[in-house]
Amino acid sequence: MDPLFYLVVILYLVVTFYLGYLGWRHTRSAADYMVAGGRVNGFLVSLSYGATFISTSAIVGFGGAAAAYGMSMLWLAALNIFVGIFIAFAFLGKRIRTMGANLGAHTFPELMSRRFNSRFIHGYAALIIALVMPLYAAAVMIGGARFLEQVLKVEYTWALVVFAILVAVYVFFGGLRGVIYTDALQGAIMFAGMVILLVLTYVRLGGVIPAHTALSDLKDLVPAALAAKGHAGWTAMPLPGSELWWYVVSTLVLGVGIGVLAQPQLAVRFMALRSGREFGRGLVVGGIFILAMTGTVYVVGALSNVFFHRTAGKIALAMVTDPVTGTPNIDRIIPLYISQALPHWFVYIFMLTLLAAAMSTLSSQFHAIGTSVRDLYYLVLPGAPREQGMVAARAGVLLALAATLYLGFRLPVSIIALATSIFFGLCAASFLPALVAALYWPRATRGGVIAGIVSGSLAYGFMVFFVHQKEAVIFGVAQALLGKPYIASFPWNIIDPLVVALPASVVGLIAVSLVSRALPQEHLRECFRGIGGVGIPVRDG
Amino acid sequence: MLGLEGFGVFLAYVLCIASTLLCVVYGVARWNSDE
Repeated sequence: MDPLFYLVVILYLVVTFYLGYLGWRHTRSAADYMVAGGRVNGFLVSLSYGATFISTSAIVGFGGAAAAYGMSMLWLAALNIFVGIFIAFAFLGKRIRTMGANLGAHTFPELMSRRFNSRFIHGYAALIIALVMPLYAAAVMIGGARFLEQVLKVEYTWALVVFAILVAVYVFFGGLRGVIYTDALQGAIMFAGMVILLVLTYVRLGGVIPAHTALSDLKDLVPAALAAKGHAGWTAMPLPGSELWWYVVSTLVLGVGIGVLAQPQLAVRFMALRSGREFGRGLVVGGIFILAMTGTVYVVGALSNVFFHRTAGKIALAMVTDPVTGTPNIDRIIPLYISQALPHWFVYIFMLTLLAAAMSTLSSQFHAIGTSVRDLYYLVLPGAPREQGMVAARAGVLLALAATLYLGFRLPVSIIALATSIFFGLCAASFLPALVAALYWPRATRGGVIAGIVSGSLAYGFMVFFVHQKEAVIFGVAQALLGKPYIASFPWNIIDPLVVALPASVVGLIAVSLVSRALPQEHLRECFRGIGGVGIPVRDG
Repeated sequence: MLGLEGFGVFLAYVLCIASTLLCVVYGVARWNSDE
């Protein structure tokens, strides 16, 4: 490894800690620690939002998946931009910020519980974040540690511990301000890295249209196993109704694309914005940033097939298939492509991009877990002084560090990867209809929202344990209770659990709301103060 | 279609860029708007 690269990594870490220090210097109250005092500008918040959104596994894992399945995955990028940025900033974010300020809420569980006057919602949301998010954080941490292990040639165990502690230190001291400042730096590095990657790839392959055409021409090389599942070439959609089609449409587009809206660690970003004016600025930066991330990942991943075919006569999957077991490791495709196809200097930039992507996601996870522990602390000790909030959240960050490290060492990688998708799905099934109702439907009642959260969670759990093949086989609950690995036949065993759980949550929420008493008018007026176009219902009975 | 074989993929490619333009245009139009 070039000594210059060590110097760049050290410089990057020094600047990161300086930004964490700036966050710490400006953190004097619990509100500073939780939501950066609600005084951050739109550029920083949207860079931070984007950098948190995109982790190392999103770049390496989804890039590898695009190399295998093709550019139909661009639907996910389009949804990430349209739903994850446009809808999130223009429609949900503004109301989250205004309502959060009206209710003095500093976390996502606190916002939901104050909106519906419910301790159950508070505790349930905080528990899901505190208990399940460490698994997702462990997945991100392992990605970062593998990077340090390979690049800096340090032992994996040490890499894991050092990486997690590095991130925890600036979250512990700097709170959300520290997280957002460092995210902005990391986001800028990621943006530069991915734009250069896209440009170099198109240049290397002869331009945009020639590269796409070359990829289209490879369609006869689709492996028979994938063709049987509906793979129709890397620049065509999978055959309608095929296994691959359901995978791309339900899991990727619905599950990952829409699931992002109800992520607590992203929702809290909106509460940090200093005014409603910042949303316009955030939209501009956020839209361009996510295009540069996800658009690049899927295009480059798919086009890596052209490069490998020209240089080695093989498609990307064949390049990473173990000659003994015959199993491909798609996570190796993007790193292999970067090292073989691109100039040496870019390899270093890309490594820094991956490090920044892992750190920016992990820092927000630690922060979200820490603030959830603070929520639980106040639920257990309602009379505790408000000044203790920051101490409780910092203690929560330390717990997050310990839990994440423990999981990182103890759990097999397959379970951790699964837990990540379950966290996304469970958040969406439980909280997305509830969040939309909180912001847009004053008639939604406490009972209705609890019914929505519970029915969404139960439906999701049922799908994961009994119906959706991928998870049901690993958990083995259906096998133990019913004697078969999963109970449904195609396509239900392939369709993302969210496709069933989300409507279940919506139906539960609406049905129970319509037959239960609306919340008091004065409470609703307080919630919706400064939010126009909402009719406050008259409380009946 | 930009060298892309399937219309669905072409549409996704175009929608990625169109969604980004929507963010940019909407964001610039509301640059200083608090509404």
